[in-house]
Amino acid sequence: MLALKIAVNILPALLVLIPLLCLAQQERANPFHGDAEAAEAGRGAFRIYCRPCHGIDAKGGRGPDLTTGNYLAGNRDEDLFGVIAVGVSGTDMPEYEDRLPEETIWSIVSYIRMIASEGETPVTGDPMVGEKLFWEKAQCGSCHRAGGRGGRLGPDLTTVGRSRSAAYLRQSMTDPNADFSRGYQTLIVVTLDGGKIEGIEKNYDNFSAQLMDSQENFHSYLSSEVRSIKRELRSLMPAYGGSLSAQEIDDLLAYLVSLGREE
Amino acid sequence: MRTFLAPSIHAAGALVWIVLLATMSVVTVAFGAEAITSERLLSAQKDAENWLMYGKGYSAWRYSELSEIDASNVAKLVPQWIFQSGLEGKSQTTPLVNDGLMYITGPSNHAWALDLLTGRPTWHYSATVPKEAHGCCGQPNRGFAALGDRLFKVNYEGTLVALDAKTGDALWETFIADYKKGYSATGAPLLVKNMVVVGIAGAEFGTRDFLDAYDVEIGKRVWRFWTIPEPGEPGGDTWGGDSWKRGGGSTWTTGTYDPDLNLIYWGTGNPGPDMDGDVRPGDNLYSCSLIALDADTGKLKWHFQFTPHDVHDWDAVADPVLADLNIKGNPTKAVIQANRNGFFYALDRASGKFLFARAYTEVDWADGIATDGKPILIPGKDPTEEGTKACPGLGGGHNWHPTAYSPQTGLYYFDSRNGCQIFYKTTQGFVEGQWSQASTTDRITGDPSTSSILAVDPATGETKWNFELIAGSASGLLATAGGLVFGGDGDGNFMAIDARADKPLWRFQPGGSVRGSPISYRFRGKQYIAVAAGSAWLTFALPD
Repeated sequence: MLALKIAVNILPALLVLIPLLCLAQQERANPFHGDAEAAEAGRGAFRIYCRPCHGIDAKGGRGPDLTTGNYLAGNRDEDLFGVIAVGVSGTDMPEYEDRLPEETIWSIVSYIRMIASEGETPVTGDPMVGEKLFWEKAQCGSCHRAGGRGGRLGPDLTTVGRSRSAAYLRQSMTDPNADFSRGYQTLIVVTLDGGKIEGIEKNYDNFSAQLMDSQENFHSYLSSEVRSIKRELRSLMPAYGGSLSAQEIDDLLAYLVSLGREE
Repeated sequence: MRTFLAPSIHAAGALVWIVLLATMSVVTVAFGAEAITSERLLSAQKDAENWLMYGKGYSAWRYSELSEIDASNVAKLVPQWIFQSGLEGKSQTTPLVNDGLMYITGPSNHAWALDLLTGRPTWHYSATVPKEAHGCCGQPNRGFAALGDRLFKVNYEGTLVALDAKTGDALWETFIADYKKGYSATGAPLLVKNMVVVGIAGAEFGTRDFLDAYDVEIGKRVWRFWTIPEPGEPGGDTWGGDSWKRGGGSTWTTGTYDPDLNLIYWGTGNPGPDMDGDVRPGDNLYSCSLIALDADTGKLKWHFQFTPHDVHDWDAVADPVLADLNIKGNPTKAVIQANRNGFFYALDRASGKFLFARAYTEVDWADGIATDGKPILIPGKDPTEEGTKACPGLGGGHNWHPTAYSPQTGLYYFDSRNGCQIFYKTTQGFVEGQWSQASTTDRITGDPSTSSILAVDPATGETKWNFELIAGSASGLLATAGGLVFGGDGDGNFMAIDARADKPLWRFQPGGSVRGSPISYRFRGKQYIAVAAGSAWLTFALPD
């Protein structure tokens, strides 16, 4: 009841406040627009705060390529500011407004603007063909989900186009061991009777291991009850460079890049 | 039978209470009745019943002389109680125990007194951290110091507070340093004589740091030692230009004390900015050093710099443990440290003379340590714009986690990481109160970094055993006369290891990363082990 009263009293105020906040957001202007010195300061901040996901050269990695000049959240300085300040829901992008002063965020925006002149490396494939490959020939869907379909062994790719750069996705297809997330390392358990179970690591410490095999079966073992447990720094995902043509890789990439962008 | 003292006596019922308490005192003993005196602190290492200071005793052995729990029965160890703090953040604290009560500090300015019998809190202290206080590395707190009926702890925003041990009420609070400049306080104070000695953090924000001593009665500052000297002072010429003003040298962990020499030993952190050494030419004293200060005056007696002109963030804040060792046939009063730069060091603790150093993890930046104690540098290991691989990584081999020395085995135990990182230097202007590291690091894809608990002969630096922690190291260690070493890992396993071999004998999964440091005490004639894990505190004992 109390919550209802609060809601009744606060709601009208919020209805007034939200448009005002939106207006304030819209009216934000980059105080460092065109300021090369601020952009250089932003480069330093970028290397410290943004590099882990977007790469030391901002060409992407776990996070999108920021040198393209085209951004899902919008291409204005204030759009970029908003993404850095409040993060992106559903992705790994955190909010920085409590960690960085506005000036630093604006300087990062200025740096991104400065380097965003190269244009996006075009993704030339056909996403429709790529989608067919995903579910049929390449069998990506046997391990990955997209739009509510598919397997659960690998990461859900439903919005991967928003959170990974095209270069990163291409590398993931051709060299899946180049980088993979915690939780997707390979564990191999040999049981006392010589049985071998291989799967992706869910947990592994000195005393036990939990893993999911390729059939999505969950296994849990105490170290004292098996012959060996071994972690391998490789992905269970096969490299597709040899099994798909260059055109098919491009098509598949086009599909992956499209995932999550339709919103 | 034991009972609680009333937290306060109201005037109207005072007489009744006094009579009642006087009567009770005939047949009961009150919790916390035995005050912590300076004499008790001097012999705290031998006080097996309690745990009176951060490192157990002034030498920071973290060794309990209790032996009821040993290799033959540790497998039967079971939880006795669990206290859930309900806090966010990881607990890195070392609890204190005195006469029936446990005193714990939590993250973000929380603290409690817990009843040893039940784990129930008898009081809770909290103070709101200012929203603008965002110093380095979360808001942990590593513990109390105690004297008389008072407890002393730092608050994150850079204050020192004295609490009434019976009620948790704040008796005084003293300003140490301004959080708006990037200072923060997280370490457990060290009680020396009638002073609370306390360090500060801030090097990642371009602060100039120090070690302070405050009077226990009123919180007035007795002395301050600036870890970064001014021009004209000894060591001031090791800083180019005015870089000393932002020189760092944090003192964010806890030191040790030798009462015979009347010296306080304290490790210092990295120079600022961390990885851009170009803006601070010189050795950058007294960063990445061990300093020995006269306890009464705070004057520098000697210093030893482990990593001159550090550019890899290799703080020298690991425990400076005091041990009397036989080194090369000579009985030696030594101070030892497993430094973050990958080398284990032994120094003469009276003079600071370098005795020896030995790598305990993968090191690729120095080809050993010369006879004068300086590293023999391998060129090309400094951070660059493009990135440079160096080993160990940013967190070093051994970082700050509390260590343990067992006089029973003669071994020194600490956790270590074996691995490398890419170090990037970057240009960053200084803005007061803002992060000023001028750097970043990256993992190396496919680099099989590992973590371990090491047992090292402190007289030679030789590693006797290496117990690999698959889930990574996170906690401090405890050694006991039961021939055991207790510690935890990043996935929450709390375990006991045979002190003479890398063999786990017992483990418990508390459901949260073990980042606190275990202690041992005796209560009602029974040995207990206690540790913080996740946001909880747990105690263990053998079944009745």
